[in-house]
Amino acid sequence: MLARDARAVADLKKSRKQKTESKKRKSETKRTIMNALQRVVLFAVMLAASTALAQSPEAKLLDVLKSNATRPEKADACRELGRVGTQAAVAPLAALLGDEQLADMARHGLENIPDPAAGAALRVALGQLKGKFLVGVIASLGVRRDAQAVEPLARLLGDADSGVAAAAAMALGKIGTGAAAAALKPALGKNSAAGEALLRCAEALPDQAVALYDAVRGAAGPAYLKTAATRGAILARGAAGLPLLLEQLGSADPAMFKVALGAGRELPGANVTQALAAEVGKFTPEKQGLVIQMLGDRHDVAAAPALLALAGQGAGEVRVAAIRALSQMGCTAAVPLLGGLAVSGEAEIAKAALSALAGFQGHDVDAAIVALLNRPDAKLRAVGVELVGRRRITGACAELLRLTADADTQVSAASFKVLGDIAGPSEITPLLAALQKTATPQAAEDALAAICARQAQATGAVVIQKAVYGDLPDGPSADVTAKVNELIRAGKQAFEVSNGSFGDPASGRVKRLQVDYSVEGRPRSAKADEGELLKLDATTAAPAVVVEPLLAAYAQAQGAPKLSILALLRTAGGAKALAVVREASGAGDAALRETALRALCDWPTAEVLPDLEKLARTSTDDKFKILALRGYLRLIPLRAATPAANAAVLKEAMGLCGRDEERRLALAALGNVPAPEALALAATYLDNASLKEEAGLAAVAIAESIAKSHPDQVGEVMKQLTKTSKNPAVLKRARKLAGLGRKNK
Amino acid sequence: MKKMTGGISRRTFLAAAVAPLIVKAQTLGRGGATPPSERIILGGIGIGHRGRHDLQWMIAEKDVQFVAICDAWKQRRESVKQVVDRYYGNTNCAMYRDIREFLATRSDIDAVLITTGDRWHALASVMAMRAGKDVYSEKPSSMTIAEGQAVVQTAARFGRIYQTGTQRLSEANFVAANELLRLGRLGKVHTVRAHIAGGSAVTSREWAAGQPEPARDELDWDEWLGPCPWRPFNQRYVDGGWRGQYDFHTGSIGEWGAHTFAQCQVALGLGETSAVSYEPVAAASGDGMAVRFANGVQMVLQQGGWHGSCGVRYEGTEGWVACADGYSRPEVSSPALLADYTKLVQDYAARTGRALNHVRNFFDCVKSRQKTVANEMVMHRSMSTVHGANICMWLNRKLTLDPLKEEFVGDAEANRLCSRAMRAPWQI
Repeated sequence: MLARDARAVADLKKSRKQKTESKKRKSETKRTIMNALQRVVLFAVMLAASTALAQSPEAKLLDVLKSNATRPEKADACRELGRVGTQAAVAPLAALLGDEQLADMARHGLENIPDPAAGAALRVALGQLKGKFLVGVIASLGVRRDAQAVEPLARLLGDADSGVAAAAAMALGKIGTGAAAAALKPALGKNSAAGEALLRCAEALPDQAVALYDAVRGAAGPAYLKTAATRGAILARGAAGLPLLLEQLGSADPAMFKVALGAGRELPGANVTQALAAEVGKFTPEKQGLVIQMLGDRHDVAAAPALLALAGQGAGEVRVAAIRALSQMGCTAAVPLLGGLAVSGEAEIAKAALSALAGFQGHDVDAAIVALLNRPDAKLRAVGVELVGRRRITGACAELLRLTADADTQVSAASFKVLGDIAGPSEITPLLAALQKTATPQAAEDALAAICARQAQATGAVVIQKAVYGDLPDGPSADVTAKVNELIRAGKQAFEVSNGSFGDPASGRVKRLQVDYSVEGRPRSAKADEGELLKLDATTAAPAVVVEPLLAAYAQAQGAPKLSILALLRTAGGAKALAVVREASGAGDAALRETALRALCDWPTAEVLPDLEKLARTSTDDKFKILALRGYLRLIPLRAATPAANAAVLKEAMGLCGRDEERRLALAALGNVPAPEALALAATYLDNASLKEEAGLAAVAIAESIAKSHPDQVGEVMKQLTKTSKNPAVLKRARKLAGLGRKNK
Repeated sequence: MKKMTGGISRRTFLAAAVAPLIVKAQTLGRGGATPPSERIILGGIGIGHRGRHDLQWMIAEKDVQFVAICDAWKQRRESVKQVVDRYYGNTNCAMYRDIREFLATRSDIDAVLITTGDRWHALASVMAMRAGKDVYSEKPSSMTIAEGQAVVQTAARFGRIYQTGTQRLSEANFVAANELLRLGRLGKVHTVRAHIAGGSAVTSREWAAGQPEPARDELDWDEWLGPCPWRPFNQRYVDGGWRGQYDFHTGSIGEWGAHTFAQCQVALGLGETSAVSYEPVAAASGDGMAVRFANGVQMVLQQGGWHGSCGVRYEGTEGWVACADGYSRPEVSSPALLADYTKLVQDYAARTGRALNHVRNFFDCVKSRQKTVANEMVMHRSMSTVHGANICMWLNRKLTLDPLKEEFVGDAEANRLCSRAMRAPWQI
């Protein structure tokens, strides 16, 4: 109906525009025509306007009601009149309020028509209907909060039909005026809904709320109504509700105790908090826990003295509850106590205290936690270090650096660990100095490695070279470079590949987006299929602020720290670091040379491919020969070269592999090379008993990438694969591709 | 509509869903470990396929005893009774066809599990809370903004505990993602993404052809329809074909948005407000719609790009995190974000005192009277965002919502779509 309305409105506008243009043309070209003809034109315009009014959405809906339309059509028209109807719709809808088939739908319309005529029509209907029709009309008057309906509704409170009587009470409750409340009071205890209705009135009438809640509390009725009224009576009294709250807190009736737990969270005031806190000691441990939990939810430090006492001694579950409550309310004064409890011998208490300190609301408490780092007790210092890490208090890095030289090795090692988690580039130089003095060098190296890795993951500027969307690689496609650039400028580095974003250059086919781009001048590419997210990797090598301190420290360092720094250069990456590592790989010092060679073999970018190829071919040390070969195989697919060229390099590398372990790596790398040459190479291993599954995985991955451009070769290799592979997933993919090959013949 | 409860894997969940029926028969109902005075007496309303999952999680809690099922469909109420009786080793589970009779006569019941179709969730919740019961209701919590308001007001009026079955709010992976955002590890968050389902936001109003109505005791069609406009019986509706119907369902946006909007809003600390601006999109499902909150953060409704259901993604100036069902861990922009995954989750549990088990969180709150993690306000406000997005799609125009007044600004037509009259005699 909404779409039809939109079309109708559009047609109407179009019609008006055409008429106006027509009128203009006529007035310009026939200025000399007699006035009589002008009158004819004017009449035509008026007729068009009259027709337009008759075709308004509301008029059309009313026509449906008048017509012989089906029941669902009329029901829908009623519903739509609730959306667009005016005073004009009231009478036709009101006429249906007693209709067996459409009465409820007529209310759908009338309830939402704001014109007062709708309320008037419903009030009139009160005197004309019975049973479910009357109940419905009463409910609608309640929804409309029709204050003028109070009197007639009040007369229905004692109706012989209990459904009508209850509906009238509920409606009066929703109307919620003083007159409605006055009408409801005598019905309390007689009308099943009067109690709830009075609760509603109490919410709407703050001046009468206490009296109304008390009236419901005092009347006969179900327990749930009394508990609801008691809750209201406490809250409506404000600060004066405290005695009633405390009374329920001490009640032996579990339902009233629950009322107190709920209302105790809602009634404001520090005096209320203190009074509630003073009661805690009077309960059994189980109830104490619930009351303490309630105090915690008040987030009021007025409860702190009582809770501090409870956290320090007593039953375990009560102490745990108190510890959590202190954390919830962000009580800074509790930090020393909780710190002490965190190193106490009682495991449950210590765990609760540590978690509470870690989860303390707000940052006001951070200073108190940092103060733990200066405590004489090493255990407390260790707790402080852990908390600084868990709360990621970066302002405490200077303190942590100091503690890397702590006499307690646990504190020292923990400080390095936390620095690794939270420190930034400015802590690298002091950490390098600490590395050369510490008794826990591995901890220092790990911390520096973590910082370097984090900085290396910092994102650089992305420049889009070319973006193509379509049935790639050789089907219809469109250049979408401008659109991708627009997304990048909008700050997005991941976006969904969809026709909605990139158009539909190959209708009916699953398309792919291929993006060639660079990050800080380094070429990269990414691709994703329609319906997937394309993510552009914008990470860069570590910036100079990381590399330069490492290089400076490396130049000065001796012995084991020098080796550590050399290893760190691999994590940092970049041209300067690589140059130093290359130089060290030819050093006379065996330890330095070995560390450098390991760094080269593990280098993250393709610049080291020539180094690794040379090592793999010429090294006399089998260990480095294998490591280099593995690194070489890993990096080949990252080369900025054509797939065919990468396939050729991998074929050559396969010849360097002396063991199946490396051949498997080569085949895995081959799977990422979408070229017919790569498929042919993979196919040569399909009959190799030891390598056929890896070869199959590679072949099917390549085949999926080139199936459309090389259907014959793909079909042939996939048929071969279906005879050799035992992997059900590979077989399924291969059979599908084999079918594609035959079909395209 | 894959759903899970608790912070455990799907495999563990499925195993647990079956196991209690076999091995725990003597734990409850025969004077088990929990004293009767401390037990929570539970009843069920409209327990079907999804409800059975909830029920089997709930029934396994040692301090819970399920005593009665109310369902308009005889086949289902008998099926639930069979499951419950077999678990307890007795024949005590009572059955009711009429919800009014059920609520009026079972004053012994403390809490109810409501897993009817969407059309009944709010009304049944309101009726149960009026009768003094605490409520665990499946999502969505409402069909309209007015229904959500009624749930909130009724819970306050009667001091009841309410939880919606948006269980990902209690699952470790989603909790960890939320904590990363809360702790500022993602920097300033500017965009969140919420998974929506396929299909259309503009739901159908067509009637299926009528079929002979079953005997009332077999299937009470009038009760099944409840507050919705009458239409002729057709078994297809009862068997799940109610989805996609305007009267019964909240469409592609509500189907999963009922979960994911709540997840996003809770993560952002916006659980007590709703999005303020809405702009329609061409995609029928609402895919790509960006709604904005008053603080400038945008939430993008996203149908694709996930490899699991009910996914969310939070994007900040310093990183992003994404999570959906089936992820072994949340996906992150940098592995360092998840280096202390376990502590993130543990600290959340310690800080909030909430169980990483959604039904347990509900039962704990029934006892403590704390607000649940998916309480009535969080669910109403996040569902208001769902309803706002739906109304925006229906009217095909920009909308601005005033979250304080809970009204669309300058759009009377949109405001008229915030409520629907209920078929007599039902009312909220």
